[in-house]
Amino acid sequence: MRRFRNLALLAAVIACLALATRQTPIHAASRPATVQAADDTAGAKVYADNCAICHGEQREGNLPTVPPLTGIAHQLNAGQLTAITHDGKGAMPGNPDLKGDELAALLHFLLAADESGAAPAATASPAQLAEKGATLFQQNCAFCHGRDTMGGESGPDLTQSKIVAADVNGDKIGEVVHAGRPAKKMPAFNFSNAEIETLAAYIHAQEAAARTRKGDRRGVAVADLQTGDAAAGLQYFSGAGGCARCHSATGDLAGVANRYQGLALERRMLYPEGAKSKVTVTLPGGQKLTGTLAYLDEFTVALRDAGGVYHSWQTSRVKFSVDAPVEAHVDLFGKYTDADIHNLMAYLQTLR
Amino acid sequence: MKLQHHSLIFALAALFIAPAMTRAQNLTSADLLKPSADTWPTYHGDYSGRRHSALHQITPQNVANLSLAWAFQTRQDNEIKASPLLVDGILYFTVPDHTWAVDARSGHEVWHYDRPSIKGLHIGHRGLGMYKDLLFLTTPDCHLIALNAKDGAVRWDQVYADVDQGYWATMAPLVVRNHVIAGVSGDFDNLVGYLRSFDPETGAVQWQWNSSPPAGTPNATTGGMTWITGTYDPELNLIYWGTGNPTPVLNGATRPGDDAYTCSIVALNPDTGELVWGFVASPHDTHDWDAVEVPVLVDADFHGKPRKMLMQASRNGYFFVLDRTNGKSLLTTPYGPVNWAMGIDKLGRPIPDPAKEPAPDGRLIAPDEGGLTNFRSPSFDPKTGLFIVDAHPSYSIYFSKPADGTYGWSGADYDLWGKGVIEAIDYQTGKLRWSHYVGPDSAGAGVLTTDSGLTFTGDAFGNVLALDTATGKTLWHAATGASMENPPITYVLDGRQYVLTGSGSMLFAWRLPDTAAAPARIALKH
Repeated sequence: MRRFRNLALLAAVIACLALATRQTPIHAASRPATVQAADDTAGAKVYADNCAICHGEQREGNLPTVPPLTGIAHQLNAGQLTAITHDGKGAMPGNPDLKGDELAALLHFLLAADESGAAPAATASPAQLAEKGATLFQQNCAFCHGRDTMGGESGPDLTQSKIVAADVNGDKIGEVVHAGRPAKKMPAFNFSNAEIETLAAYIHAQEAAARTRKGDRRGVAVADLQTGDAAAGLQYFSGAGGCARCHSATGDLAGVANRYQGLALERRMLYPEGAKSKVTVTLPGGQKLTGTLAYLDEFTVALRDAGGVYHSWQTSRVKFSVDAPVEAHVDLFGKYTDADIHNLMAYLQTLR
Repeated sequence: MKLQHHSLIFALAALFIAPAMTRAQNLTSADLLKPSADTWPTYHGDYSGRRHSALHQITPQNVANLSLAWAFQTRQDNEIKASPLLVDGILYFTVPDHTWAVDARSGHEVWHYDRPSIKGLHIGHRGLGMYKDLLFLTTPDCHLIALNAKDGAVRWDQVYADVDQGYWATMAPLVVRNHVIAGVSGDFDNLVGYLRSFDPETGAVQWQWNSSPPAGTPNATTGGMTWITGTYDPELNLIYWGTGNPTPVLNGATRPGDDAYTCSIVALNPDTGELVWGFVASPHDTHDWDAVEVPVLVDADFHGKPRKMLMQASRNGYFFVLDRTNGKSLLTTPYGPVNWAMGIDKLGRPIPDPAKEPAPDGRLIAPDEGGLTNFRSPSFDPKTGLFIVDAHPSYSIYFSKPADGTYGWSGADYDLWGKGVIEAIDYQTGKLRWSHYVGPDSAGAGVLTTDSGLTFTGDAFGNVLALDTATGKTLWHAATGASMENPPITYVLDGRQYVLTGSGSMLFAWRLPDTAAAPARIALKH
């Protein structure tokens, strides 16, 4: 049964491969032939017999389904490669019969070939990389970040992202993609380094394209947010808004307009994400502990104490009270007019 | 003579055995009209969309004993957003590019159909439709595929939208007699939303209904995607469907007026696709508030008079009760913070406030773009008269300026704050009977109610919850490590009631331990 399933998978993969070959895959064809030393002949044959049908004759893979194996030494060691070869991974069937000399030759072929130091992707032009990345992006990122990377449902415009601006060949983008941004509901993605490189190439290509589109930019410019009246904003700050109860222009907000500008300042003004709450937990014996609220659901409450140590309790066994000053921002949502917001924004921008 | 005698015995035996044998993987129209307790044969479980089960083995008194029967790992990055089907002891469910048949008794895989697709958004997949021995699957690249339920083999494959234009598909088709009805997704482009009906045996197209006029029609909208499975009233022979937002999304300048039938609830004849009535839930929407949420069909008294009703907790923040024979409004009321309407018009529709359309310097809007609820199914509990929904009180800012153009998104919007609350709405008044906090931002779990008085749902932290339907109090929970992104289902198998929930990439089957279940073995009818 399992064998038949694998056959079906294989057939699907072959179909994909057939499709992909028409799209002139990026592969290491320009790699000098000398890389494949004589002692790799055996490994190359094992590869050709067992792996090439999916991973490609040149180990180029077929993204996003089949990862390339060029450069695999940068990601996996011999033990990990062996485990995947034997057990399979995702849609890849395992081949537990590949053992002994055959296996050793294959591992040598896959790992040694990369010691030449040639970065596999380096042989592809940025445009070719971007083309690969576009496909990955459409599948995995486009819903939130927009098909053109310029923002969509819930995800920000990447062409205006500071992370993207600072990124070189996926070093910063890769970090975010691998880790996700749980606080902002961005999931983590398990892309290979080669995939990240293609994604980054695509995003940077879009970034460049966006820069040349003068006067037709999406997103929110600092200039768009200058419709308020600073004096009225100060009045709201000190009066109806109640902001002055917690904040001060000479204290926590001194120079705030230097730290945040435009939309980032406005969003932070309306709701400072990540603001910490305090919690005081009273244990059954009457002992009280206070710290930063670290976790709270119906069943568990946790804090970090002054020393940074995490403690948790079942909510049913302790009493606790949460002090969340940020709730004052939530209370204001139902009270603001849009003019109040624009005025407050004008006022905050004077705090330099 | 002796031979004949044997033949007779065989013939008689065949009579008894045959129904059981042929029943396997043969889901008839009659089964779909009155699903038995050991099945969950459609996305919603039945045609009403109430996601309410008559099962009562698991009760408020014994639910504290609920424990894991099995778990199934998809080993995929995509979360399970599908509502599984259960037919003849086999569960069928999906994530993008993958369909599984899983033994409902043990949780082990029967078959797996893996169809990698390059094009189309892979944001989620909501499951399958079924008729006779065929499963109907939509794909991210807009194919409608009929699979043999026995082994996942492809029977037919039809392209039904152009992925290159910007369509994609996530929804579970609705089967009504010999019609397989599929909808489309795609609001990044100015495209026409539609429903298309197919012959289940051949895949031949039977009809198409368009939500909006052809792209390019002057002063007219595009959009109205049809990405959540509708419901069906066999007596009236009407299907009910919610439609998505108009396009361009945040800029309404090129599409003056109500933009019918985007952000609408429509009633169509399933045999012809003909529109019988339409109700625009968000006239001239500029906030991406699809009205695709499940149109729940309830027959009950409304203010003392028996009614055939349709209820929807809509993404725009309003709870609608309509007379589903004619689409006339019975009740329109917000079920959380809403600040974009100036009032309710005489047709029961919110009147959009022009001052709350997206603007160059931003407008504070409640709810946010995700809406006061989204695609996860609500549930209607007939005993308490409660409509129970995963709600998301929230605020956001919406921007749009001329430079954003009139194609696709045409603006930008940013979430500021939100929380997740399970709300129990009294359908007669729209007032909240109870609300149950389920975490910051949003939880996003679907809701299931049962006749024993239980509500199953999940919180934002990854807890599966069983609540007392009457009060909202938590009676049981289990931490699963990821939040529930699909609606729960329930069924009975071998006399045991199961509740099935998804969390992250895993499916969990819950039931009472042997000892607790023993006193209340269930007969297979309700």
